[in-house]
Amino acid sequence: MAVQPQALAGLGVAGLGGLLAWGAVDIPSDAGYAGVGPNFLPWVVATALLVCGALLTLQALRGGWKNVEAPSGAEAGDWRALAWVAAGIVVNAALITRLGFIPACALCYVLAVRGLRLSEGKAAQGAAALTQACTDVLVGAAIAAPVFWIFTKLLNISLPGLTASGWL
Amino acid sequence: MDIATQLLAGFATAATPINLLWAFVGCAIGTAIGVLPGLGPAVTVAMLLPITAQVEPTASMIFFAGIYYGAMYGGSTTSILLNTPGETATMVTAMEGFKMARSGRAGAALATSAIGSFVAGTIATVLVTLFAPWVAHAAVQLGPPEYFCLMLLAFTTVSAVLGKSALRGITALFIGLAIGLVGIDQITAAVRYTGGVPEFMDGIEVVLVAVGLFAVGEALYTALYEGKSSNTIQPSGRVHMSRQDWRRSWPAWLRGTALGFPFGTIPAGGAEIPTFLSYATERKLSKHPEEFGTTGAIEGVAGPEAANNASVTAALVPMLTLGIPTTVTAAIMLSALQNYGIQAGPQLFTNSANLVWALIASLYIGNVMLLVLNLPLVGLWVKLLQIPRAPLYAGILIFATVGVYGMRQSAFDLFLMLGTGLLGLALRRLDFPTAPVIVGMIMGPLAEAQMRNALSIGEGRWSVFLERPVSVVLLGVVLAVLVAPALWRRLARRR
Repeated sequence: MAVQPQALAGLGVAGLGGLLAWGAVDIPSDAGYAGVGPNFLPWVVATALLVCGALLTLQALRGGWKNVEAPSGAEAGDWRALAWVAAGIVVNAALITRLGFIPACALCYVLAVRGLRLSEGKAAQGAAALTQACTDVLVGAAIAAPVFWIFTKLLNISLPGLTASGWL
Repeated sequence: MDIATQLLAGFATAATPINLLWAFVGCAIGTAIGVLPGLGPAVTVAMLLPITAQVEPTASMIFFAGIYYGAMYGGSTTSILLNTPGETATMVTAMEGFKMARSGRAGAALATSAIGSFVAGTIATVLVTLFAPWVAHAAVQLGPPEYFCLMLLAFTTVSAVLGKSALRGITALFIGLAIGLVGIDQITAAVRYTGGVPEFMDGIEVVLVAVGLFAVGEALYTALYEGKSSNTIQPSGRVHMSRQDWRRSWPAWLRGTALGFPFGTIPAGGAEIPTFLSYATERKLSKHPEEFGTTGAIEGVAGPEAANNASVTAALVPMLTLGIPTTVTAAIMLSALQNYGIQAGPQLFTNSANLVWALIASLYIGNVMLLVLNLPLVGLWVKLLQIPRAPLYAGILIFATVGVYGMRQSAFDLFLMLGTGLLGLALRRLDFPTAPVIVGMIMGPLAEAQMRNALSIGEGRWSVFLERPVSVVLLGVVLAVLVAPALWRRLARRR
């Protein structure tokens, strides 16, 4: 494994620590009887993350982290496939209150399954892609609909629907 | 009160048709998700947490315990036939079990793991029955300083000792603690790290983080890196053990149980250490050392499987009696209890005796159910492995949406879920452990409250932790746990 991602991750951890420290400044220190207030743990966590981040970066630059197990899977990532899957989740999050649970989830399924198939090199091309997407919409809806009914009808948990009937 | 009468009352509650049904459904779902890649018991329980709004506490705890147990049985099946251990604790099973499967002895491996899990689970449940009330009784004496030290111990072992790298484990722990900081401070109601976003005021849901890290993270990882990898499933054949298999298995089961139970009960957690210890023990004691690592030795499956099951069952002791979870699933079950306003801890055995004993009784019942579900029906579960990867993971995203959205009805949480999914992806790729993140985020606020209460008792003096005998001993153990591995390595090098 290359050194760069490790060094970047170390810097990221340190950056998170810095962010937490920056936020901790605004937290009141009103301590009461305890002697430590609500800003105590934030400072501890911020410091610890800064130290850990620094150590991780240092280790990365000095020939890499210790005892790292080689990650499973391909050497290079298939970022296009990742983008499709992430897009599925984003679309779902953006549309769930507008379209209702079942259509939004079906849409998420279509995008995600396309991404996963792309990564396997099995995604259909051209006109066949449209047919595949249509089938996927139906499959996605077929998974989402029973889940929706169980939650709304059986367990009385409110999920957004297109109509107020609780069936769609 | 007498343990026997309480246990009987527990059976009376657990054996009502509706609760039996919950246990059965839990075991079946648990086995299924244990077999399937991409979902673990923790995520599944997390996704089903919204049901706590409707289902009564006893039924839902029985249901969740069924999932917890079932997933272990299912996970072993996948480890043996597919060589893809779902969690570190079944890694050892995969080592010997998959080799047995490749040399055509999958049936015996599956049988010894299922029966061994049953034996260990049942013995461990008996021990929990006898042991837990006693611990609860003793735990009443503990005050905030002792609790804080216990939690410190759990933090230390989960992050620094169990993983491959202490530095990465501690980093993961503090990331979890940082997530736990978001929201309103319990004691002074000070607002921390909300960035003005109203959704952050109530803190970040455990469900969201667990589902994001594990389920979404796994789906993203699969899309990014695993597209071209493939696994071959070994045929399971008939699940059957010969006379010799039995003779070699049962001492291993008992030794595994003896190793696993104590590790589970201490609030330091993790089934990894006892399974590895059991594997090393069996390898040393075996009369067939040549089979280890070559054709696969049955003891190498029997012992670790029993150790795993015993320690997972024993993890219920610290969870119920102290309110300290040592596994991710236990942590999420604890937050299920919190949803009901039930605080796990020594008082649980007096305040919610019904629930506790029904839960313990359901463990006995669940073990029998799982044996039945897994021995004759193993072929059925293996069929689940034929679901192609793409629709499987895409489908998991739908379930993830239900779990996360159903908790708070907030679309914002779904964006956050994608964020934690990306975090999970990075943690996995860079070989960071994820359990400390969850443990840190759930126990962080609890530990902080205990620490500040302890300091209030000591009127702001830190020496309060050194003035009470139990907390001094616990601090000593924390120190020992931190120093021992380094000493151990030095000694080993000298020899």
